[in-house]
Amino acid sequence: MSAASVPAAPEVLLRISNVGMRFGGLWALSEVSFDVERGTVLGLIGPNGSGKTTLMNVVSGVYRPTTGEVTYRDRRIADVPTHDVCHLGIARTFQVVKPFASLTTRENVAVGAMYGRQGGKRSTRASFERAQELLELVGLGRVADRPASDLTTPDRKRLEVAKALALDPEVLLLDEVMAGLNATEVDEALQLLRDVNRRGVTLIVVEHLMKAIVSISTTIVVLAEGKKIAQGAPADVLAAPEVIEAYLGSRWRKRQEQLKEIEAQREEAARVQPPEAHG
Amino acid sequence: MALLLAVPLTHNGYIEIVFRNILMYATMAYGWNMIGGYTGYVSFGQVAFFGLGAYCSAVLSQFGVDNLLADVLVACAVNGGFAVLVGLPVLQLKGHYFAIATLGVALALTDIIANLDALGGTAGMRLRQVDEAHFSVYYYAMWIVALAAILATYFIARSKLGYAFVAIRENEDAAAVLGISPRRYKITAWAISAMMAGSAGAVFAPANGFLDPSIGFSVDSNVFPIVMALLGGIGTVAGPFIGAIILAGANELLQRYFIKIHTLFFGAMIVLVVLLLPRGLVWLFGLRGGVRTWLKSLTEYKA
Amino acid sequence: MQLLGQDLVNGILAGGILAVVALGFSLVWGIMNIINLAHGAYIMLGAYLTYQLFQTFHLDPFLSLPVSFAALFVLGYLVQRLLINWVARAPVLTTFLLTFGLSLLLVNVALLIWTGDTRGVTTSYSGANFSIVGITIPWAKLYTLLVALAITGVMHVWLTRTKTGRAIRATSMDIGAAQLSGVRTAQIYAIVYGLSAGLAGVAGTLISLSYALTPTMGDPFLIKAFVVCVLGGLGSVQGALIGGIVYGIVEAFATQIDVTIGTQHISGSGLQDAIALVVLLIVLIVRPTGIAGKATA
Repeated sequence: MSAASVPAAPEVLLRISNVGMRFGGLWALSEVSFDVERGTVLGLIGPNGSGKTTLMNVVSGVYRPTTGEVTYRDRRIADVPTHDVCHLGIARTFQVVKPFASLTTRENVAVGAMYGRQGGKRSTRASFERAQELLELVGLGRVADRPASDLTTPDRKRLEVAKALALDPEVLLLDEVMAGLNATEVDEALQLLRDVNRRGVTLIVVEHLMKAIVSISTTIVVLAEGKKIAQGAPADVLAAPEVIEAYLGSRWRKRQEQLKEIEAQREEAARVQPPEAHG
Repeated sequence: MALLLAVPLTHNGYIEIVFRNILMYATMAYGWNMIGGYTGYVSFGQVAFFGLGAYCSAVLSQFGVDNLLADVLVACAVNGGFAVLVGLPVLQLKGHYFAIATLGVALALTDIIANLDALGGTAGMRLRQVDEAHFSVYYYAMWIVALAAILATYFIARSKLGYAFVAIRENEDAAAVLGISPRRYKITAWAISAMMAGSAGAVFAPANGFLDPSIGFSVDSNVFPIVMALLGGIGTVAGPFIGAIILAGANELLQRYFIKIHTLFFGAMIVLVVLLLPRGLVWLFGLRGGVRTWLKSLTEYKA
Repeated sequence: MQLLGQDLVNGILAGGILAVVALGFSLVWGIMNIINLAHGAYIMLGAYLTYQLFQTFHLDPFLSLPVSFAALFVLGYLVQRLLINWVARAPVLTTFLLTFGLSLLLVNVALLIWTGDTRGVTTSYSGANFSIVGITIPWAKLYTLLVALAITGVMHVWLTRTKTGRAIRATSMDIGAAQLSGVRTAQIYAIVYGLSAGLAGVAGTLISLSYALTPTMGDPFLIKAFVVCVLGGLGSVQGALIGGIVYGIVEAFATQIDVTIGTQHISGSGLQDAIALVVLLIVLIVRPTGIAGKATA
């Protein structure tokens, strides 16, 4: 169940404790708590509006939680300025991808390599070399010299991942990285993520694609209406009734009950009157 | 640039002054280019640094120090410090607000200095100058300052620092996520641009022999460098220089032959450059697709 | 106490003009997202137009108000349609330089026509004033204030009640949606810019009554207009009025500062630009975001 490189005693890198986020009168998140262990892949799922992106924003320091805290190796993320978050070891991709338009693809990634966690030790040339490496890894080697504004959407997503990797993160947050990809592209993306995880990067993946999440996650956390409603191994979580209900809604449950009613009535009727023989 | 070294040999005082001014404006254009072109923070107050640098020289002259090197070093130090100080609040603003705030800084500084009797107030100050025979030393000094600006721009553009600036220009928030502290790098860019403008001013003042607020903080000195950088190509290494030569040269010619309407022409030129050459000449020359791409670029921002 | 009162009144009177100046400036900035550095030039042209009409036809300045407005409106409309429209959606550098270039052009044309000599408009009532509780109020300035108030009132009604006015406000809120509902953006922009120029012209006429005329007279008003807009909020008529008056008062008091430190004499009146900057920075730092409700691109 656990990923390849988990040490004997699982080390908690990221701790989300009792996080709540309020916007105006609305609680987008409440009482969310879980740990993220080194080397794992944590899938974060939930129906639309359940607060997944909000949680990502809190974990990556974009939002300061109204209640609770997120700590990374005992440092509160909310206390760290934006530009230092990656220096801690956390990197993320964004749903709305806006690369540095007038720079080439390679330059885009190189910036991350220059200023990320290991950036201080890298020269300009070393940064470009590292950038090229990462571009090959995500499959963008051939467009390394093109202006980033020329890239197609799937390529831009790859660029996002490459940029995040250039920061040498210990934990990588991926926000709907597979949206809009076709089946082949999804498989390629999953392969890439597994690769990255094998190299020791802990992943937190937010996705809508069930199959993708299931195939890659070691643990899954389910959010609904801002609360954590389930956490555990993929198989267990997906079978849990509260999870199904969260996705399909209470009408589904009522429908199930109605169906059961009708079944019961039919059985009743069958007992009282045997079905007519058909000629 | 190397060619310009030969200018003093013509022993023509007038030409020397013309080219010295070209070098001066070029230096300021490079300064503006650093904060406005590469970092994307359009400043309309660079003349504040120029004037400040000029007054540094004037003050040193009052104390009997007439060494150009000292002038430039002091100007750099003062301008660097001033830029950091003023930059802390002002660089938090963006776009229009930043532009006007910088304009405000320039105007405010002009006012303040004009009111300081110790600095000559509106009457100005005289500086001691070298004798006729050695007058070209000012030209060479300006040449060195300009060269320094060009080299600095060249090396910064290819270095990590340069990429930080460009990243901030393209997408400041994304840059922060990648580990670049916007505040630190914006202030660095501004300090560098301040030192360039200040150095130009520091050499100009003794070369001119006389300094008062209207000369030190003239509108010309503020706007010319910007238009030059725009004409030549913002965010490039060669751009400001090309722009400086063309515009300063044009300005000289206009002043000579059309003195009454030369500012009018200049205004018209600014309008034309803005409308027709928004990306600058360097872009134009590197363009594939020729006239058609150029024409298309003209309607890019049409309402 | 009397001195304070006088300052207050002076401030209010000056603030009225500033409000009209700021209103035009605010319209262009709020609706087109352009900072019009040529605004000062339009003010100047309005003033000189009044001067010329007065000199040649002995037309009373107050009567030339509609003329200023109309003339500058046409000028502004043409300028926008023929020049500015090409770069209407461009970033700040472009529009700044363009309007700056325009300003240079216009100021120099004025310089050629009227030379740099200081001129003035002296009417029969120019020096007349009256006093209440020891505070002197020049008639000309009082009329100016009343006209300014009237104009802001008219503008407010026009923007909220008429079809064009509403189209303008719709464009400023959501240009895409406005276009979809049939609003012709370029046309709206031209009207707005023309309006702004017209208002500047009117301000110029009012100014000519109380101040001296030089081709560069519009410059000080530019930065003050900016500060007033930031104070009062973009695209808001009431904001321009309140901001203008508040600024007028602040400036009236600040220019009274007159101290001597050692041999250094500091007088507030010479530091007008510095005062503007300080006010601006204070406002921007205290309420940096959302002060105008319109973030620039």
